[in-house]
Amino acid sequence: MKKIIFLTLILLLTYRGGLSRDIGETEILTDEGIEVFQNEKFYLLKKNVRIVSDNFTLTGNEVKIFFNKDLYDIVDIFAKGNVNLNSPAYNIKSSGKQIYINIVTEEIKVEGKESKLYLENVEMFSDGQIIVNNLSGAFQIIGINSILNSEDIYITGENIDGIFSTNDQKEIVQLNVNDNQISNIKTDDLDMYSKKAIYNKKTSIIELFENVKIIRGSEIITGDYGTFDTIKNSYKVKSNNTNKVKVVITNTDE
Amino acid sequence: MTAMIILLITIIFTFKYIQIANNSSIPLKLIAHDSDITKPKFTISGNNQEIAITAKEGDFLSDEKILLKKNVIFQSKKFKIFSDKVIFDKKKLIASSTEKSKFIAKNTSIISNGFDITDNGNIINFKGKTIITLK
Repeated sequence: MKKIIFLTLILLLTYRGGLSRDIGETEILTDEGIEVFQNEKFYLLKKNVRIVSDNFTLTGNEVKIFFNKDLYDIVDIFAKGNVNLNSPAYNIKSSGKQIYINIVTEEIKVEGKESKLYLENVEMFSDGQIIVNNLSGAFQIIGINSILNSEDIYITGENIDGIFSTNDQKEIVQLNVNDNQISNIKTDDLDMYSKKAIYNKKTSIIELFENVKIIRGSEIITGDYGTFDTIKNSYKVKSNNTNKVKVVITNTDE
Repeated sequence: MTAMIILLITIIFTFKYIQIANNSSIPLKLIAHDSDITKPKFTISGNNQEIAITAKEGDFLSDEKILLKKNVIFQSKKFKIFSDKVIFDKKKLIASSTEKSKFIAKNTSIISNGFDITDNGNIINFKGKTIITLK
């Protein structure tokens, strides 16, 4: 009986849930090997690559890892081909054709059609590039179908860049939106269109430039320049030609 | 008396002869090696490093190529690779294996189904399904 209890204890203590990786270790699996270039200080992981660590899981078809002194001393990770990144520790989830991670500068770049990056409560999408620097909070979403979506704001434009607060909430403290066609910023009760938009948390004002259209409920105002005060919840629209500002109020009950 | 002495000498000689004859009939034990070289040693000298290659045995496959067998070790200042069968081209300084291989370096281990060492040791290509563990 004592032997059975002892054996059970040993089995329980040594069982690791089928994992071959210990805590603190990073395990990399490839189907077609790895090529180490010692002078160039990188290694190439080939076909069906899976990287599993305590902080993240990365999968892709091909991964190039740059190192500093030794193989474990990773500086950059460049993954391509159906790449998926999941980091519950940093609240990051991402997918794209290519993902580039700089470990030192804590910058992540997602490239290709249908790129996605979820960071805390912010969702970013693009057919071009999504770049976020975790240290500075700077972000860029470049290319067609670029979208930034969070709990209280939805932005589309060909070029969206700005700065997030570096706390966990990822609040937008600075924002620039540009689109040669038209960009769009939606809040709970406002729908704003323009070719260019600028926001700064210090002033709490969103500035809209060219082809401005603000929709609030049944009210539509168009012009060349507009401002929206996010604290007072009020807006102004101006036109280069003073007669050009147009207000349309529709009664939806009719 | 003389006859006795002659008889004794004859007996001693006969005994000695038989003893020598018996000894010479013991079959010769030849130590046969099934390899061409024992404990071969080579070196690959690169720009930044030197890789020492050792094995228990080696067979000449050609003038340039040697099949290194049993406990083959590639050792540099930074790493060690263990395998049981490696073909080494001593002219081109290329090593190749299709056997299970283990790479050990600081905080790093790689297990693969063979490897190639080319470009004077600069490039190591671990083949097939590979597991890398980084600490």
